[in-house]
Amino acid sequence: MSKKSTRSSQPKPDPEAAAKPTTVSALKKILFVSKSLLELEDASSGRLCLERFHHPGKGQSALFITHPNGQIMELLEYAEPRRSWLINNEVCSNGKIYMTMPLDPTLLAVHHLRKHCDQKAISLDSIAVEDSSTTRLLTKFVPSQGLKCIADVKVSGDLTFYKYNAERTMAWLALKTRQVQAVLKAKQIHCGQNAAQSQNFVRSEKLQVENNSSDVDYLRMACDIVGRYLDIDLHEMLTHYLDIPKEIQALAEEKNAAQKRKSQQGQAGGAQSKKIKLNAESEQDQNTELKKSGLIDSDSGGSPPTPVAPTPLKEHSMTAKEKALAKGARGSKSITSFFKVK
Amino acid sequence: MSITLDFDAKQLAKSKQLSLHYLPAKIQGDGEANVEKCFNNYTRENPDYGSGILTNSLRGYPLLGQQANVPSGYKGLVLQETEKPLIDTAERQLRLTGQFDEFIYWNYDKVPSNADGYRQALLMTDVAEALMYQPIKQEDLDAEIQRHKESKKENS
Repeated sequence: MSKKSTRSSQPKPDPEAAAKPTTVSALKKILFVSKSLLELEDASSGRLCLERFHHPGKGQSALFITHPNGQIMELLEYAEPRRSWLINNEVCSNGKIYMTMPLDPTLLAVHHLRKHCDQKAISLDSIAVEDSSTTRLLTKFVPSQGLKCIADVKVSGDLTFYKYNAERTMAWLALKTRQVQAVLKAKQIHCGQNAAQSQNFVRSEKLQVENNSSDVDYLRMACDIVGRYLDIDLHEMLTHYLDIPKEIQALAEEKNAAQKRKSQQGQAGGAQSKKIKLNAESEQDQNTELKKSGLIDSDSGGSPPTPVAPTPLKEHSMTAKEKALAKGARGSKSITSFFKVK
Repeated sequence: MSITLDFDAKQLAKSKQLSLHYLPAKIQGDGEANVEKCFNNYTRENPDYGSGILTNSLRGYPLLGQQANVPSGYKGLVLQETEKPLIDTAERQLRLTGQFDEFIYWNYDKVPSNADGYRQALLMTDVAEALMYQPIKQEDLDAEIQRHKESKKENS
């Protein structure tokens, strides 16, 4: 009950809130900040900063949290539609949680290097001359070791030039994806076709029920997670590179398999109905053919063609079920025979 | 545009511990409320639902709650903006109100479990660790390129 005691020790009015009782314009924000970002120096060397950089996966800028020592993390927002906070003695209508998520800043650099350094080697500070935030991102937060994985590096004197290398980038992304896949596997995160279902029904129970997600499912999910930080076309290239079948394809295959099983069960019935259809079709074809020939005949002034009687068609289309019904009905009175027109 | 989180290590260390409730309701409005008297007073531990499950109610709606920790490796901070500038591009500052390491997670009408969106979202922290920058060795990269080339040959 340590919680209780801390709470009861706090109800005394807090001076800050008393100074401005209505805090409508000043929304409070709840953040989960990684402890590694909170290792701040006392001196006024710098503060944590929220900055906007281009997010390739979104195709627009997004917020990132930066540390003066060069760390960078993504700022993610967890929001449920109906949530709010009580903070000590205050209501906070902003029910979101902002979390800092680590990421490899090299992923953010891929977009810029692909765009600008595809043909010729360029130094980092001249990649995006017009965009100061990009320059800041590339020179301050992207580790040079990481850049080596996605580009050819040429050093001349004090200057370093980078040229985008597609082959290395793909290989590097593949390695990254495998790392993510390993974590997904280790954490037994459900993925694949029945992910939504199993998350809801299995994870709520404490038991770890056997996980039937396959390796490909893990790989696909990992690829999608890495792909969130890539341009769309690059994401597709990565999917292709890793030989991941498309989800729709996989779905279709599974469906096909299911259908096969079904048809195997009721093979006889299926075959029969097919036959009937064929017959009906061929008969119709004959009809139209006859009509055509009839038209020609009538044009030539011959006798009008005898219309094909529909009766034989009907006989053909009697299914086994109908036949059985007819058999059962034999000898019984027709229901209309009970009523007579007076 | 950037937003400065205006605090240093000293201020962080000195900042007060806050007690928080994560409520399953949308509240239109901010400001003071008599949380201690009207809410905390009615928090009870109810072993019927399992150990550590708390009950309370908000406007007559039953709540089931549980003490929750801020995910490991993280610290909970409450930040506040003193004044929001009218122009979007202006520099903004967020000041530190306090910090917390645990809070009470409330659900409406269901026992907090791993099926809650909040808990599932936290799985992302583990995945993100894997995405984090770690130096990849030159040999590994070369090996991967080599491997891919070979598999390509096999296919063709």
